[in-house]
Amino acid sequence: MLRRFEVYALRPDAPAEVVRALEAACRECGRFIPEVLDSAVGTNLSDAPVQLVWEHAYASPGAYRRYMVHPYHAAVIDRYLLPDAPERIVIDGPLGAGLYGYGCDGPSYRMRAGVRRLVLLRLDAGASETDVARLAETLEQAATEVPDMMVSIMAANSMGSAWFDGVTPVMGPPRWTHVWEQGFANLDALDSYRHGDSIVAEVERGGWDRWMGGVVKRSAELFYEVSRRPDPTLGHG
Amino acid sequence: MRLVDTVEVETERVEDYLQVIRTLGMAVMGDAGASFVSCATTSSAIGEHVYIEVTWSFDDHVQWDEIRKNLVLDPRYHEYGATVASLRLGGTRRFFTPTTFSPAR
Repeated sequence: MLRRFEVYALRPDAPAEVVRALEAACRECGRFIPEVLDSAVGTNLSDAPVQLVWEHAYASPGAYRRYMVHPYHAAVIDRYLLPDAPERIVIDGPLGAGLYGYGCDGPSYRMRAGVRRLVLLRLDAGASETDVARLAETLEQAATEVPDMMVSIMAANSMGSAWFDGVTPVMGPPRWTHVWEQGFANLDALDSYRHGDSIVAEVERGGWDRWMGGVVKRSAELFYEVSRRPDPTLGHG
Repeated sequence: MRLVDTVEVETERVEDYLQVIRTLGMAVMGDAGASFVSCATTSSAIGEHVYIEVTWSFDDHVQWDEIRKNLVLDPRYHEYGATVASLRLGGTRRFFTPTTFSPAR
């Protein structure tokens, strides 16, 4: 599977109704392009100067390619995004290209509701595979140690440079080499994690540079309450 | 198929906008693989802002995706986008597929 995040910094003067239209276009994408899975949006609550996050996934690179060439992508989603599009409401973001994601064996990121936290990591270019694997193992173990942390996945940000077909890099290495995706039951659970005594919470509070030989050079975080289209099979009430 | 941008521009900025299309726009879009079809304006003598309609063509959405990739990877495209954004008041972009009875394909 391919897990993917698009992160948008909005023009300060973007009309509210157009922002809502972009949110809806992202949230509803799977209705028009069935290959788009687990589509949800959220408003970033961190200090990072980006506002809107669209999280979604694809079963395969082939499914991703069908999204890329679908009219809904070109005509509706891109209407608000491309630099020369007259209805553009985004600006070039300070976090670098606002596209992050990774390959995974299955939808281990999946949660019906809650708070998503995305930690963007820049690892030392000279880090060995062993160091990176050890880091991933430690971060992913957090889901078993931290109450109400439902998801913890750390992976290389392959989508940052392979955004055309999901596999082949079309540009240089991304600014954020890895992503650490987390899921919490709610904002209180995230807050409890931050102030808790787990190893990774202590690392985050103390600074990444003092941990594991400084393999993590920089980090930035986004977090948001997940807003997705209601599941029509669940009915009401 | 056609990509049609219709933008609203203040009368005194029409020539600047057209100049950007004529130079940077045609170079960037052409190099990316799009074909220039037409550029037309409404009258500047009717007391309204001017609308400029610029039309590009390509085979289908598969080719557009390739053009889009080329555009995003071209630094001139980002300069082009910022420049036209600074000159227009608003507008729309729509994709059109010619009907079977259309003489222009």
